Amino acid sequence: MTVPSSPASAGVPAVRCRSLGVSFGSVRALHRVSLDLAPGQIHALVGQNGAGKTTLAKVLGGLQPADTGDVHIAGREIPPGDVRAAQAAGLAMVHQHFSLPPSFTVAEALELTAARPGGRPVYRRAELHGRWRDDVAEIGGEAVLSTRIRDLPVETRQSLEIVRAMAAEARILMLDEPTALLTPAAIDALFERLRRLREDGVTILVVLHKLREVAAVADTVSVLRDGELVLGPSEMSEVSQGRLSDAIVGPASQADRAVGVEAAPGTEQQTLLELARVSSRASAFEPGLGSIDLSVEAHEIVGIAGVEGNGQRSLVSVIAGLNAVTEGSVLLGGTDVTRAPPARRRLRGLRLVPFDRNSEGISRRAPLWLNQSALRLIGRRRRRLPLISLRQYKRKAATEMDQWRVRYDAVTQPAESLSGGNVQRLILSRELAPGLQVLVAAQPTRGLDFSATSFVRRSLRGLRDAGAGVLLVSSDLDELFELSDRVLVIYGGRIVAGFEAPYDRRAVGDAMTGARR
Amino acid sequence: MEQILATTLRSATPLVLVATAGVFAFRAGIFHLGLEGLMITGAFTTVAVAEATGSVELGILAAIGVCMALSAVYWWVIGPLGANVIIAGLGLTSIGLGGTAFALGAIFDRRGSLFTDVVLPRPVSGITSGPGVIVSEHSILVWITPLIVLAAWVVLRRSRFGLRLAAAGEYPFAARTAGVNPSIMRLQALLIAGALCALGGAELSVGALHNFTENMTNGRGFIAFVAVIFGAWHPIGAAFAGLFFGFADAIGIQSQINITERVPREFVLMIPFVLTIFAVWLGGLWRRRSLEAEAGYAELREPDY
Repeated sequence: MTVPSSPASAGVPAVRCRSLGVSFGSVRALHRVSLDLAPGQIHALVGQNGAGKTTLAKVLGGLQPADTGDVHIAGREIPPGDVRAAQAAGLAMVHQHFSLPPSFTVAEALELTAARPGGRPVYRRAELHGRWRDDVAEIGGEAVLSTRIRDLPVETRQSLEIVRAMAAEARILMLDEPTALLTPAAIDALFERLRRLREDGVTILVVLHKLREVAAVADTVSVLRDGELVLGPSEMSEVSQGRLSDAIVGPASQADRAVGVEAAPGTEQQTLLELARVSSRASAFEPGLGSIDLSVEAHEIVGIAGVEGNGQRSLVSVIAGLNAVTEGSVLLGGTDVTRAPPARRRLRGLRLVPFDRNSEGISRRAPLWLNQSALRLIGRRRRRLPLISLRQYKRKAATEMDQWRVRYDAVTQPAESLSGGNVQRLILSRELAPGLQVLVAAQPTRGLDFSATSFVRRSLRGLRDAGAGVLLVSSDLDELFELSDRVLVIYGGRIVAGFEAPYDRRAVGDAMTGARR
Repeated sequence: MEQILATTLRSATPLVLVATAGVFAFRAGIFHLGLEGLMITGAFTTVAVAEATGSVELGILAAIGVCMALSAVYWWVIGPLGANVIIAGLGLTSIGLGGTAFALGAIFDRRGSLFTDVVLPRPVSGITSGPGVIVSEHSILVWITPLIVLAAWVVLRRSRFGLRLAAAGEYPFAARTAGVNPSIMRLQALLIAGALCALGGAELSVGALHNFTENMTNGRGFIAFVAVIFGAWHPIGAAFAGLFFGFADAIGIQSQINITERVPREFVLMIPFVLTIFAVWLGGLWRRRSLEAEAGYAELREPDY
């Protein structure tokens, strides 16, 4: 692989594109985007969900051919959709969803994706490890080489993607929403790493959601809105936060209003959800739960803080009825549901916003209306004819989705065609239906842009005010502190500490990392 | 006992070859249910061409060619044309089973079976007693099969090609970011699988026997597919699973000869299948945890784009 000779000195933009256009069917993902990125700087790209950030990154990386326009990387024109040409010009990408096969070992994954000269087509294990030993020094050294990708913590997986890019001697690094899955400490470490790479002369383009993060790391910022470049690249010092937000949201944007929720007539101070000494078996990713005691009262948001992989998923699964309890009991509104299947728990007013909205929250291939109607279909009264009126269900689903401002073309389109924020709105429109008593919200704002985030947060507060109980699991401490009436910390499958406002960030952090027991 | 082991080798060889074919397809992400059809096509083409030309080598080459061509068609149907992999695979099996029976009548004007004297060489033969019986009377393909399995292991587990293939099968997005076209990788895997199925079919018709018989594969393609799953889609694992199923088959055959007077014939015929079900159940228990682990990655495997 050839490395372009010092693009900085030549004054050639590291990345240059001219009037890029991409359409998916009738949807315009990118429209006349022209952009020059100066070498040796950290460039941030921001915009709402569905603004075209990921599409732009993919076009630049050669993963998505553009319909119109051209791309130059370090002065070389890249044929549309040619990944290898983009890589040969010195560009590497770190994808939002990561791009390493889960069952591969680290060494195998590096060999697959960052082939460097000198390798023979057939290898021995030891030889492979020798080739990559130096590259992984920073992320755990030789021991990590034989670990499978799926067993790596999410930060390490991301670091590995950066390692891979650097091993391919990338001079331009693109990161698509790298902070979405990271804890605050890991985000700081990532930014530090990016600054070091900048010092080495690497040009960085990073797609971000939070303006605070942009301010923390970027030299320049560009804003995409509805597929068009509406701002930048501008020096960070020349753009005010206000102007940036305006550019992102656009003029005449109606502020989302939280939808009022009818909660069940709440008797005050009633325990809606209770876990008594609940234990569960460990999964492949997480420790099992160890004797957890927890209760959520009416009019209350209880936050669960913790470093990812400390039992949060087990906790949510146990409450939802997806994982078996080995000991203890789960009570909903005072009724023991320890052995009740998920559907019966839902009929008792339990609602769930799951961790992975695309795999757990929706049926990707099923049409929107069916996804939206799922709860109503479960909750149909018995002793009625087992027939439904499709038209009625579709119409009801459309009304609900409109009310929650889900953006869609037709109720029959598959749920997977929605963007991330819209999927979350769809899930909320289904889960926050009348009859709700307790909501378990797992990372409800992860990966959402800020208007969608504030919308979700307002909805959660609205729920509490209407008398429901909310269990909020999040890795975003700001979110927990802002919303929760009290915060419990989960560590190694156990609740190790409880906090009430005003929160001491330091103390919570210590409990999360096990520094305080 | 020696006889059972000898029969095991003979029964297992076609299974191991076809299971290896299945491993290639599986690792490229294809549930290949056309193995049976390719296998019988290989068996028929070998006999037909060997009988017509008098050369068993030409027969095998022709079988490999025909099976690879059929595999290419299969790829075209499930890849560019976007047909369902399972349905198209079953269709390929039907075409193989029906097509060979039809060709037998149309070309040779025979029904049922076609005999040939042109068969594969047998490096060791004539031993009738002692442990030597185990290795006696086997075709050259039985001897070569361990080498083929070893080669498959090197290609799949210790080569860049194998990494690209596995990436294309497990997580196509990873392959694409590495500049690999997953569809082309699948074609290559299917072509290799086609060639291996041809060998498996040839061993069945001109290796162990002297003839082609309608439906002579008798479900072996599907058993080989089970061996792929049972062997955790690892080339060595699948080979051992194939050996095990061959052993079950051998026990069935031997006990048919020895104990049919005391035990109903139908019961004896069941033995290989009962063992197969039992083995698959055990394999399922053993692997449940790893499958659970993989299920959690549904989102990673199919990203939003």
